[in-house]
Amino acid sequence: MAIEIQDLQCSYNSTPLFKGVDLTIDTHLTILGANGAGKSTFAKALCALTPYSGKIYLNTKELRNFSAKELARHLFYVPTKLESFDTRISVFEFVLLSRFAHKDPFFEYSLDDKQRAKESLEKLFLTHLSDHALSSLSSGESALVLIAAALCSQSQIIIFDEPTANLDPANAKKVATHIKELKKTHTILLITHDLHLACFLQSPVAFLKEGVFSLFEDPSSFFDDAVLERLYGVKFHNLAVSYA
Amino acid sequence: MRNLTIFLFFLALLCISPFIGAVPLDLQNILNPNHLQYQIFFEIRLPRVLVAFSAGALLALGGLVFQALFRNDLMTPYTLGISSGAVLGTGIAIKLGLTSLFFGLSLVSVFGFSGAMASLFVLLYLARFLDRSHKESLLLLGIALSLFFTAALMILFFLGNSVQNDMILHFTMGSLAILGWHNPLLLSFALLFTLLLLYVYRFDLQLITISEESAKLRGVATKQTTHILLISFSITTGVLVSITGPIGFVGLVVPHIVSKLYPVGIQKRIGKTALFGGFFLLFCDTIARSISFGSEVPIGIVTALIGGPFFIYLILLKKGV
Repeated sequence: MAIEIQDLQCSYNSTPLFKGVDLTIDTHLTILGANGAGKSTFAKALCALTPYSGKIYLNTKELRNFSAKELARHLFYVPTKLESFDTRISVFEFVLLSRFAHKDPFFEYSLDDKQRAKESLEKLFLTHLSDHALSSLSSGESALVLIAAALCSQSQIIIFDEPTANLDPANAKKVATHIKELKKTHTILLITHDLHLACFLQSPVAFLKEGVFSLFEDPSSFFDDAVLERLYGVKFHNLAVSYA
Repeated sequence: MRNLTIFLFFLALLCISPFIGAVPLDLQNILNPNHLQYQIFFEIRLPRVLVAFSAGALLALGGLVFQALFRNDLMTPYTLGISSGAVLGTGIAIKLGLTSLFFGLSLVSVFGFSGAMASLFVLLYLARFLDRSHKESLLLLGIALSLFFTAALMILFFLGNSVQNDMILHFTMGSLAILGWHNPLLLSFALLFTLLLLYVYRFDLQLITISEESAKLRGVATKQTTHILLISFSITTGVLVSITGPIGFVGLVVPHIVSKLYPVGIQKRIGKTALFGGFFLLFCDTIARSISFGSEVPIGIVTALIGGPFFIYLILLKKGV
């Protein structure tokens, strides 16, 4: 599923962030950039969570013309942390909520929906947590639960907003492996500071700096010490170390 | 086992409650249509049981829904000043001496829910200027509104004559004493309407209780849902307050008890919250009727006396965990 962005402009606290972004995302994209560059705002614009000017097309249809349900069927956003006011809900119920946009209004979630939620948990080896309350999960577990929710939604596009920011290396590797697996079947848009993860995924890279995206279609042209040093302004030594 | 105990307690309460009050009732007399006790039972006690149950259920659901929509355990139509608006509206109607009916509703009720709606709109309008990162700001705004409405009510006292002041004072203490079936039926209709509404929106509400963002992303029309629920509950709160006066703490305490007893998602707690709220108020009212200091203790005072310490206990308990 293709995303086409034309002349996108957003602002954060009334400070303009982008200088009219034009970007086409055909398959996958990893977005990197300094703190405060506007990566998360960019992701929120793609989810219609923040106002923007310009145009964003999902398969030729402009984002503003999507109803909330329609958009949810195409696109799933995975936040950095699983935050919930209602912490008593079980992991299974939480994952099942991803089916909201697919189910008939007023009616219960169907057996098919429940089956999908079950399978998604199985795929991430989380079946043993099905009945656990959200409040009992560790950061590593909740990161995986969010991926299960993404899988259960059947949305073609999944946007990950710094999925490994709170995780230890072992859990980060788990998450990375699952995201790589999802790449085979979904369009993955990854926002991250985790260069290991970005390098491991080997998606085309867009580096956001001062409101402009620099595109590296071939990821190996980005993961080069000299290039990274120029972009981030700090020295790098042999970033080739990755989760592989 | 626990459910059975609760069920038996509720059943016992339901059977005993109509027999408790200023006049002791005899089972034989209440079945004799020519006896005064028959009239007391069917025209005063039974309607009162229905009023207590419906009012309790509505108050508890109001608390549950406001807490869910604002994702804050302290939000209820009471803490946000919506009830105070209803009290002020009703106070104005009493001051103006309005007693006539308006499409089957008494004008006092119309003023009550107009007051509730007015305070909701003031609250929502002012909320637009709040910094959304400070979750407690809205609560403080509600408390400020509540104090403001109370001050306005004091002006009514200042201007009123002693008969009106007595009526307003009694009204602000909350009372379930009613005569006949009109108000009980109105309230149970309001309860059915709210239950139906919550049944329709139960999945949306479950998602909104996760977070507004995740609800939106999973396909909930959050703004529309929030507004429909807030407006509906403000109307029912307004009607409720105009009939029973303000009865605090039920909306705070009951959703807490239910979520402690049944740690499941909100969608599965709606019916239970209504049931527990109804029986909680019926229990409080039965106590109020059984204690007599010349005249019966106003229900608002009983719920506050039970609910206040219980709520403090819950806050302290939460801190300990």
